[in-house]
Amino acid sequence: MQTNRVASGGRINRGNAVNFTFNGKAYQGFAGDTLAAALLANGVDIVGRSFKYGRPRGIVGHGAEEPNAIVQLGSGAQTVPNLRATQVELYEGLEAHSVGGWPSVDFDVREVLGFMGKMMPPGFYYKTFMRPQNLWHFYERWIRKAAGLGKAPLESDPDCYDKLNQNCDVLVVGAGPAGLAAASAAARAGARVIIADEQQEFGGSLLASQQQIDGQPAMSWVDERLAELGNNDNVMLLPRSTVFGYYDHNFLGILERRTDHLGISSPGQVRQRMHRVRAKQVVLATGAIERPLVFANNDLPGVMMASSVSTYLNRYGVAAGNNLVLFTTNDNAYQTAIDWHKAGRKVVKIVDSRPEPTGALVNTAREFGIDVMAGHVVVEAKGRRRVKGAMVAPLNDNASAVAGAAIRLDCDLLACSGGWSPAIHLSSHTGAKPQWNDELVGFVPGESKQQERSAGSAKGAYSLAGCLQQGDEAGREAARKAGLDGESTAASYQVDEQPQQPQQAMFLVPHAKSTSRAPVQFVDFQLDVTAAAIELAAREGYESVEHVKRYTAMGFGTDQGKLGNINGMAILARALGRGIPETGTTIFRPSYTPTTFGAIAGRDVADLFDPERYTAMQRWHQQQGAEFENVGQWKRPWYYPKPGETMHDAVNRECLAVRNSVGMLDASTLGKIDIQGPDAGEFLNRMYTNAYAKLAPGKCRYGLMLKEDGMIFDDGVTACLGPNHYLMFTTTGGAAAVLAWLELWQQTEWPELQVYFTSVTDHWATATVTGPNARKVIEKVCDDIDLSNEAFPFMDWRDATVAGVSARIFRISFTGELSLEVNVPAHHGRYVWEKLVEAGEEFGITPYGTETMHVLRAEKGFIIVGQDTDGSMTPADMGMNWVVSQKKEFSFIGKRSLSRSDMLREDRKQLVGLKTRDPQDVLPEGAQIVNQPEHAPPVPMQGHVTSSYYSANLGHSIALAVVKGGHKRMGETVYCPLADGRVIEAEIVSSIFYDPKGERQNV
Amino acid sequence: MSSSIETPLHYFHGQQTGSGDAQVTIFESPLCGHLNLRGNPQDEQFLEGVESVVGVKPPTTAGSCASSGDISIYWLGPDEWLLLLPESRRAEVESELRNKLSGHFSVVDVSGGQTLLNVRGDGVADMLKKSASYDFHSNNFPAGRCVQTHFAKATALVSKKDDGSFDLVIRRSFADYLASWLLDAGEEFGCRVVGGGEV
Repeated sequence: MQTNRVASGGRINRGNAVNFTFNGKAYQGFAGDTLAAALLANGVDIVGRSFKYGRPRGIVGHGAEEPNAIVQLGSGAQTVPNLRATQVELYEGLEAHSVGGWPSVDFDVREVLGFMGKMMPPGFYYKTFMRPQNLWHFYERWIRKAAGLGKAPLESDPDCYDKLNQNCDVLVVGAGPAGLAAASAAARAGARVIIADEQQEFGGSLLASQQQIDGQPAMSWVDERLAELGNNDNVMLLPRSTVFGYYDHNFLGILERRTDHLGISSPGQVRQRMHRVRAKQVVLATGAIERPLVFANNDLPGVMMASSVSTYLNRYGVAAGNNLVLFTTNDNAYQTAIDWHKAGRKVVKIVDSRPEPTGALVNTAREFGIDVMAGHVVVEAKGRRRVKGAMVAPLNDNASAVAGAAIRLDCDLLACSGGWSPAIHLSSHTGAKPQWNDELVGFVPGESKQQERSAGSAKGAYSLAGCLQQGDEAGREAARKAGLDGESTAASYQVDEQPQQPQQAMFLVPHAKSTSRAPVQFVDFQLDVTAAAIELAAREGYESVEHVKRYTAMGFGTDQGKLGNINGMAILARALGRGIPETGTTIFRPSYTPTTFGAIAGRDVADLFDPERYTAMQRWHQQQGAEFENVGQWKRPWYYPKPGETMHDAVNRECLAVRNSVGMLDASTLGKIDIQGPDAGEFLNRMYTNAYAKLAPGKCRYGLMLKEDGMIFDDGVTACLGPNHYLMFTTTGGAAAVLAWLELWQQTEWPELQVYFTSVTDHWATATVTGPNARKVIEKVCDDIDLSNEAFPFMDWRDATVAGVSARIFRISFTGELSLEVNVPAHHGRYVWEKLVEAGEEFGITPYGTETMHVLRAEKGFIIVGQDTDGSMTPADMGMNWVVSQKKEFSFIGKRSLSRSDMLREDRKQLVGLKTRDPQDVLPEGAQIVNQPEHAPPVPMQGHVTSSYYSANLGHSIALAVVKGGHKRMGETVYCPLADGRVIEAEIVSSIFYDPKGERQNV
Repeated sequence: MSSSIETPLHYFHGQQTGSGDAQVTIFESPLCGHLNLRGNPQDEQFLEGVESVVGVKPPTTAGSCASSGDISIYWLGPDEWLLLLPESRRAEVESELRNKLSGHFSVVDVSGGQTLLNVRGDGVADMLKKSASYDFHSNNFPAGRCVQTHFAKATALVSKKDDGSFDLVIRRSFADYLASWLLDAGEEFGCRVVGGGEV
């Protein structure tokens, strides 16, 4: 039964009934309702329980400011917590629950606690439950159960969320009178405009207004503006879109709710879309939020904001009660009493704190026969689960105390208005410091820090004419500053409006008892912060508004104190004996209202979370059942298990195949940089530790690259392709960093060296054919060059035709075996790879992955930069002084650092091999090395294991390690104590385990 | 020989997302010649040398491209350009450039490392908005402009064609990721990848 629905009126569709449930009970509303409007229509008083005391709470507001009607929508994977019922559009089958209240909102265990004892002061939990300390965990379980807001879904969200980048000349935030006027003005000037509004319909305050513009109902004016804007290709209209954050460089975030109003799930559609807007200029027309009045028991259901009472009545056709008492400090709220009266409901009294209200609206109300009690205030609301009466008392002359006994007015609805607070949140996000305005009794946006301006009631203009005029001006100014210099004339919108009398500042309504003795006077409804708590905080020594916020939790809720903050700061200011401007305000931060993680993540989820880079042979590897390893963003085959094989089996098989016959590795991921220019040789000379200037065409050389500190940064082979033309190979993971490093030195330090770098990593696909039979395989598919060792020796490269494709073959080796690396343009990569597999079939050619590559190179003692080095290793530490040339004319990067005293210490950690006593023991990589395991802690550390494998070729485990002074400790025994309690004994040996003379690669 | 060639989106040809008629088409061009060119834009001899081979001077205005016959040249940086041309002419143009140019320059064949896509259809503007923060509105990005920019979590060279469609040059190793990204971004419009001879 929609007991509170009035017979006609409102922007709802009465022909379209909508069924929904709230806390498990079935109700009906109409299309066009918000959940809050429908709940009020059904006479639901209690919509939640307060956070701390479990007090019953009802709907207070009608928009983003709502502190009480916080709901959990839906269930399961698509559930959304912490939505304001005032902003949830009703749809068929909507299912909502209150977020607070345990065991239920109708009976809350905390309310009993509240009645039993005194109200909990700030710091209550710390003051009460921390002693004895070990009992906190016991209390915490129950406290947490009773408190808390909302539940996150446990399943992954099946809906689609995405992100759009937008660019525009002018972004207008808010589509009320000021916003629409601004957007129209900017669009007429030729600007690309985006106008966003959080509500389902544009119009803002005009949606519930009885005023006229240009002699017609305000909504007709809105329709005209929408028609004008909608017909302009340069204008984007975004309803249901909250501008939730204003970031640096005029970058703003908008959350557009595209299907939330249709149902909890929207298969095949985008549920929510994040617009990432870069706006040249911004107009903030975010409106104002009505300010509550702080009096005793002001949190009772049935105490509402005056403008909300009007909004529910005019826009939704819902009368939130029968007998209204209006409590106001200003003229504006009289409209609510007038609306109520016109709807045929009873206005019991208007209670106005001002001694002599005389404004036009006041007179209109009086003409309707409504009784005004001037110079009076509501000191206390009466009732338990709903307001039943208001205690009204006269004020003294300076409004500082009550001046007589209170009388009771019976009512079931108490509408309040303490004036308005401009919605300065977005302006605050930019760092603009809010300015207190005495006349407006509120904070207005501070000096702009970005390309923005506020207009309308967001800037403190509370008349409709003022909003329209400011909006129009702001829109034209924004367009002009965005660089559109077309003529733009001021629009003239006619409004018949009467001036209003000044409002009275009233942040805490006096009570006959002191604040601490009076029944609770709530400042922040959502987090149960009372006036007494703020005064207590001041008495306990808190002075900064930011500290008081954190101590009392004022403004900490999901509503960010949209209703309560100004009153709270003013109460604090008075308690501290200071003015409001000196006390200041807390700074609002994004998000304006909570933003879903789904929208923040967008499509960067699951397979699209991060790019996976593939080589041209990826599908072949997949078809062979390869397991993959991440190397940077690349996917590299790790090993190729055959049916029934473990990783260990597969790697052993691959290792043996390479040493005994032939294997093939996809080496396409190695970084490749083409280097050209008259000074290319000299440049390389300076980048690498060894000499390159004399490298002849057709030759390759291995080099180490150091940072200025002398530490190894990258390694790889560079080939001379021709005069002044080189090809540099880098590590897979280091490719981008090396290219940037080369460019950095060329551009900033040695611009006189003429050399160009071009990445060709993606251009080449590389098949490394390695093993004693490698040449025999290549011979079968390449007959245009002499592949013999004499004609084509180790560390040479040749142009050749492989399987009919122009290729380069490099005789370089990372396995220590005879190796021929075949490079072809990547579009031929898979074809040539398969031809090589075909050619190698008779030799049992075995594809191998990165794990086998690691084992084989470790058998040879070849380092992997980033595994055996960690940014603190020099060439000498690695036993690689053979690759450092001291004779180069110009220095090389890092050279000077190599002679620092610390670099010459004999006890630096040096690369050695480790051979475990038990040949089957494979040391864990990272294991720490000590001399005496039984040493009392702390045990002096000697170093750690950097690489460790089982070598099928050698029949025992092998490890590389860095050990203090290791190069001179050959044959010594060291110990690796493991986390599981075992201690593995190992002997320090040479880091080269296999073919120490390097004969196999030279055959 | 052509059977030996797989362009980067080879395995995506024919894939489609969204229901109904695809409103967005991603067409992968058959293998093109891609030459990366570097040289000094203040050096008239260099500019004229390039012109004598490709028929047009390398554009020196940031973010612009030019074309002559079947060769297009894109500004990539103050001293860097991309030449896009039929693969059949690549070797000849590359060696011609080496013959005609002198002094400090570089020409590098990168044909295997990237691919040319043309993206067209009703949802293209939104697909680009999903992928990049650059402003592709015609006020800011008319036909004849090009830009190298972040594209999803990879990069792309984007240019606007006279017919309103967009060309993308993307890197091979990121092609699978970007094709998946684009098919996903185009799903709400219906999106199809076509290649080679299937136009």
